[in-house]
Amino acid sequence: MTAVQGSRKPAPTLPRTFPRTALAIGLAFAMAGCASVDIDRAVATSNDDAADFTQGALQLARTPEQQRDREAAADALLAQPLDQNAAVRLALQNSPQLQALLAQSWADAANGAQIGRLPNPVFDFERMRTVDELEFGRLLAFGLLDLITLPQRYGIAQRRTAQANIRLTRDVVAHVTQVRQAWVRAVAAEQSVAYARQVNDAAQASAELGRRMQAAGNFSRLERARQQAFYADAATQWASARQAVTATRAQLERLLGLTEAQAERLRLPPRLPDLPKAPMPPDRAARTASAARLDVRLAQASYEAAARAQGLTRITSLTDIELGVRHDTMFDRAEGGSTRRNGYEVSVRLPLFDDGSLRRDAIGAQTLALTHQLEATLRAAGSQLRESYGAYRTAYDVSRHYRDEVVPLRKLIAEENVLRYNGMFISVFELLADMRAQVNSVIAAIDAERNYWLADAALQAAIVGVPVAANPALPAGVAGSAGGPMLAAQGGGDAGH
Amino acid sequence: MTSRRAFLKSAGLAGGAVAAGGVNQVALAGLPELVTQTSAATAAPLVPDTGRPYRPVVTLNGWSLPWRMNDGVKEFHLVAEPVVREMAPGMKAHLWGYNGQSPGPTIEVVEGDRVRMFVTNRLPEHTSVHWHGQRLPNGMDGVSGLTQPSIPSGKTFVYEFVARRPGTFMYHPHADEMVQMAMGMMGTWITHPKAPHPLIDEVDRDFVFLLNAYDIDPGSYTPKIMTMLDFNLWTWNSRVFPGIDSLNVRQNDKVRLRVGNLTMTNHPIHVHGHEFVVTGTDGGPTPRAGRWPEVSIDIAVGQMRQMEFVADEEGDWALHCHKSHHTMNAMGHDVPTMIGVDHRDVARQITGLIPDYMVMGERGMADMAEMEMPLPDNTLPMMSGVGPFGSLEMGGMFSVLKVRKDQPRNDYRDPGWFKHPAGTVAYEYTGVVPEPTRARAAAPPAGAAITGGAGGAASIDIQIRKPQGHHGH
Ligand SMILES: [Cu+2]
Repeated sequence: MTAVQGSRKPAPTLPRTFPRTALAIGLAFAMAGCASVDIDRAVATSNDDAADFTQGALQLARTPEQQRDREAAADALLAQPLDQNAAVRLALQNSPQLQALLAQSWADAANGAQIGRLPNPVFDFERMRTVDELEFGRLLAFGLLDLITLPQRYGIAQRRTAQANIRLTRDVVAHVTQVRQAWVRAVAAEQSVAYARQVNDAAQASAELGRRMQAAGNFSRLERARQQAFYADAATQWASARQAVTATRAQLERLLGLTEAQAERLRLPPRLPDLPKAPMPPDRAARTASAARLDVRLAQASYEAAARAQGLTRITSLTDIELGVRHDTMFDRAEGGSTRRNGYEVSVRLPLFDDGSLRRDAIGAQTLALTHQLEATLRAAGSQLRESYGAYRTAYDVSRHYRDEVVPLRKLIAEENVLRYNGMFISVFELLADMRAQVNSVIAAIDAERNYWLADAALQAAIVGVPVAANPALPAGVAGSAGGPMLAAQGGGDAGH
Repeated sequence: MTSRRAFLKSAGLAGGAVAAGGVNQVALAGLPELVTQTSAATAAPLVPDTGRPYRPVVTLNGWSLPWRMNDGVKEFHLVAEPVVREMAPGMKAHLWGYNGQSPGPTIEVVEGDRVRMFVTNRLPEHTSVHWHGQRLPNGMDGVSGLTQPSIPSGKTFVYEFVARRPGTFMYHPHADEMVQMAMGMMGTWITHPKAPHPLIDEVDRDFVFLLNAYDIDPGSYTPKIMTMLDFNLWTWNSRVFPGIDSLNVRQNDKVRLRVGNLTMTNHPIHVHGHEFVVTGTDGGPTPRAGRWPEVSIDIAVGQMRQMEFVADEEGDWALHCHKSHHTMNAMGHDVPTMIGVDHRDVARQITGLIPDYMVMGERGMADMAEMEMPLPDNTLPMMSGVGPFGSLEMGGMFSVLKVRKDQPRNDYRDPGWFKHPAGTVAYEYTGVVPEPTRARAAAPPAGAAITGGAGGAASIDIQIRKPQGHHGH
């Protein structure tokens, strides 16, 4: 708009009364002022929309006081073992990544809302001299079309702001889900490492006994080597388990945005929470997921913004009207007096070379695409939820099976083996070998429980419409750095940009 | 004696017999009553009230089957059936047997008796009874397929023959024999002489038992029937020590032991404190000239031995199989020797992992008998039994011959532990024990080899010279 306006030349003046024009300009200014971006309100909206994820603690810190408050809150959270909710709160209070997300969202919203503002009027001043005449020409010009379409622009701006808000909520949900999953992995890894150490201890005891058996002449080299081999294997398993602790913990630290000093203070609870008594019933998952799904709302907002933009483009692509208010003063040296003239001028762009059809086509096609995108999102929503729920339910059943069947059976076998050892039916080596097997199934049970909590976090996100990888067996970012929110590709997401 | 007499009504006995069709009610009514035994205690001798008189035997942890005289024929009724046998207090086995017990009741007859045996099969499979060692018509020998058809489930067969020669015999199935004997089907048969016999002495106490063996996995109840040799419970009359009753006698009683072997291996039966002579085998009484004194007699598979001695030494005398692993209850056969391996410190580590773990075996296996640790269900300790001086560390084929001055005649009750006269029990020497003088070997230093323990291996240096081809050709 500004470019179009800048290329305009002064148009013939027409008589017009000044005060009415001023009123129109005043109104325009008032309306343009409405299309502003309030990041605090956006954050509050996110806190409301994703209360389960933000715990109301999402805030963009801009002042040193706020910064100090955040640090104090982080210190308080780090003072005790960090449960899952505390981890989420810590990320919200402490993570620069989340702050960057908020600030970026502010920027995006402001950019998006720009269309709702009226372009500034152009003031043109001319000084013309003829032989004995001096003329001062003053022209205050602005795009009449811009003014006329202002309500439409305002609507578009509002929807773009809304889009930015939804995107912000979505990104926050994704980040919080990542924090939850990273916390689950880190706790599970620490839980497993204790058992891996037990396997290692059992194997070490076997190996040491084997060595002494050979020294006493009771074991052949072969038998001793067998016991030693168990130990060698167990040692590598234990090393891997310790590395998993380091890696998962580091990933959690990054998602929490901890400084090195904070990371040193980070303590995790000794074990994952127990499985809930019953899994979330499928109808509750479906009921909770509603039209309030973020992906659907985002697709909706994108579509609406585009649809409104289409209406605007239908007009602006064809024509442009510029209105100017002119106030000239002429000094006549010969007569020694001055005359004034007032008037207005209108310039209209003639659609001779560009009839705007391409622009209309483009925007129309874009709207059509977004219509389908919205439909696709609506259709995919249920399917994604079913997939997430399936993964969740399977993880629950498997974990419960481990808890109720596998581990108790292993425990029973272990107890019976101790009785058999008591009766000298088996040796201490078999007892230790069985103990290793028992502990390995405990580790598998912890893995199953970890998978459940990962799937649970993914399902929570899926319910609000943020599909997150349901159950990655390996933490995706363990080796590399934790980037921004990892979002699974999905329809309608950023189409409104 | 706690035998329960159950009179079989015609319909109750065996639907099989009725279903066989055409069996008349007179024949059914003619069956001898069915008697079963639920107790595993040693029953008092069954003194005959009908038929020819004889001096009855005592079956160790067993009983003798009552009979009925019918027109001068001695009629017995055996029922082959599943039974639950207590092998020792704390362990019950699910076996097959006769008339409520395994082994079945002892059958006692007199030389020249005409005997009619009704055998009812209540097993899930067919069976037969072979009268081991008897002279009888071929068709009564009980070898299914060869001398008779098997007795199907639910049917009753009749065997009839004259007990022609006196002696000690056995009975057992000769159909699916390995399984049925592994399940405990067997019993003893005694034919007493009808008149004083020049080679058969009158005795005051006459004990009989069968050697049998089972393979019952610790924690389970039913024998593994596919086991050939690697049995883990060595039993007398399907009992193991400490479940085998003692043999209680009066001092100077003449005692006869009749032992039959229905296991898959031989057993050297050993009596402490006395010498005995073998007075009879499966073949009959041994000629006096051929008898020599023994303290152990090896009883081979399928054999029967009669040993006699005068119990003239007071005390509690061990009586057992001399294969030492036969005086053990179930144990692991693949457990490495831990002797000399000090692992108290490793044990602490193991206890951290397995809280109930206890160190055993680094001194030997006696730890096991002393500690009395919990075992799998229905499992007896490998060795146990507490005597007046502590743990006996025994199991399996072990019992005690108790000879007492004051044991009443014909009284078989347990007199309790022997009260030793003062100064007749081994005692501790409290003086100084000097170090032994050892012969010095040239090299390596003597004594190093016997230190044992961790690190001892390096000093054990045994050179083995292998054959080096064909030198000197
Ligand atoms: Cu033996």
